[in-house]
Amino acid sequence: MFEKVLIANRGEIALRVIRTCRELGLRTVAVHSEIDTDALHTRLADEAICIGPADPTRSYLHIPAIIAAAEITGADAVHPGYGFLSENPEFAETCAQCSLEFIGPLPEQMRRWGDKVSARALAKSLGLPTIEGTELVEDVDDAVKKAEALGFPVLLKASGGGGGRGMHVLESKEELRAIFETARSESRAAFGNDALYFEKFIERPRHIEFQILGDKHGNIHVLGERECSIQRRHQKILEEAPSVALSDEMRNDMSATIQRAMGEAGYISAGTLEFLLDDRGELTFLEMNPRIQVEHPVTELVMGVDLIAEQIRVADGQPLELPERPLSARGHAIECRINAEDPDTFAPSPGTITELHMAGGTGIRVDSGVYGGGRVPPNYDPLIAKLIVHAPTRAQAIAKMQRALSETLIGGIRTNIPLHQRILAHPAFAEGRFSTRFLDELQAERLLTAPVRH
Amino acid sequence: MKLDLDQLRDLIRLLDESNLTEIEVEHDDDRIRVRRDPAPLAVASQSVAPGAVAGSTHASGAPAAEEDEGSYVTSPFVGTFYRAPSPESDAFVEVGDSIAPGQVLCIVEAMKLMNEIESEVAGTIVDVLVENGKPVEYGDRLFRIETT
Repeated sequence: MFEKVLIANRGEIALRVIRTCRELGLRTVAVHSEIDTDALHTRLADEAICIGPADPTRSYLHIPAIIAAAEITGADAVHPGYGFLSENPEFAETCAQCSLEFIGPLPEQMRRWGDKVSARALAKSLGLPTIEGTELVEDVDDAVKKAEALGFPVLLKASGGGGGRGMHVLESKEELRAIFETARSESRAAFGNDALYFEKFIERPRHIEFQILGDKHGNIHVLGERECSIQRRHQKILEEAPSVALSDEMRNDMSATIQRAMGEAGYISAGTLEFLLDDRGELTFLEMNPRIQVEHPVTELVMGVDLIAEQIRVADGQPLELPERPLSARGHAIECRINAEDPDTFAPSPGTITELHMAGGTGIRVDSGVYGGGRVPPNYDPLIAKLIVHAPTRAQAIAKMQRALSETLIGGIRTNIPLHQRILAHPAFAEGRFSTRFLDELQAERLLTAPVRH
Repeated sequence: MKLDLDQLRDLIRLLDESNLTEIEVEHDDDRIRVRRDPAPLAVASQSVAPGAVAGSTHASGAPAAEEDEGSYVTSPFVGTFYRAPSPESDAFVEVGDSIAPGQVLCIVEAMKLMNEIESEVAGTIVDVLVENGKPVEYGDRLFRIETT
């Protein structure tokens, strides 16, 4: 087993990894930028190394600085968290060259699953149901031909895109002709790659994803699904496990399909397969994320597993020690992402947290990277805390989350807590009737019915 | 938009009061950009500017007025600090040496690469603040210099 783990990240996920390392008896090294000198991950790790200025390209994304920090502290493994360098195959390769164990999948697995078109082809060849789509398009005429063959409405997507960026919903070939060149240059500017393709557009899908874990001995476990349909501009806001939209039969069938497919692919470490669920109850593969995800705690709570600990054991070469039969979810878990942003305009709200009280009591988990008196810098992502609840039923979990949000007090900055309260109080959410359009519809409804503010 | 000194002053003040490193204003065909890099303006006069071939020097973030007299050369990288090009060689500089801009002061090794750290200013070495072979973080003070 390694002895010292460097965490190449910041915020709540850096803390999340530090906590598990502590429990496993591993020493920890935090790396931080100048602006994060007093951040919580910097304070709670056994050692902390300043690796550069606030600009992430010169600190958290700067591979030589992170490797040098590992060298001077004698770390023997690196956990990348999510975001930053977590899906960068060059970083994983550099770690290996420097005799550092990268806690995650192999570089070639990141490459294979990182490109969306090749990932979809791979998924198809492994027998996963994939969304109908086209090859890359050559020019505008070829695009019209391919879109008509697929049938409008279609989704025009950038092959190099991600996080919901670089997508256009198109209803007709006139719309396609009008936007094609713009979409191509946008894609080139944003992703350095102007390759475009089409997918069948699903009007009101749900976003359902399955958690997997693989070890270096060929074992793959599927740890159930998460429901992540509550999104704003393709950014998840609230997640839960299990999903009310899946029957036991659908869940078991898809878990068996994934277990066979990913076993064949020889996947190592934690990963997530994202699917769209249409109104006919069909699941279609969207993409595979070769890393730990923000919303992993809901799976941990209902499955009784520490996913970070499993990632560490797998990286160490140990076989997974999970039961042979598929695990089934116990109870229901919900996660609310608390962002430092205005709940109405979604404008970022960095600043100093003047006071902080997080909820407590039975069934509450808080994964946070901030403290009272601490500062939320403007340089990074606005996620400051995750509030997660676990209860026997979904209705009880909703009630518990409402109670937890009402206890939470974060002063000095604005947060999206009021938005979470509106989501949880909505009858459609309580009844489990929603799609990825839920938040847009909620905002529209609110504009129509909002009382005049004084 | 004509280049108006008052407007420019306002922009600089705005930059100074914020956490930003750059402000760009565009109006018709005119464009003004104010930026600072990498240290806040408050210490710029005490610092040595970046731009050395092998690395850059960097001012400490602390207000200079509360510090001892003199400037500091800080580490532009995380790595291991070496005072000499090899274990058998003499140190690049000793306390009391006069230094010129572009003169190599030390090496910071990161990922097996020997990065020579050059002085950006002329002056005298007042103190060597890190022991040979010790790890340094980004921004750690390496030398105190009296500038001339």
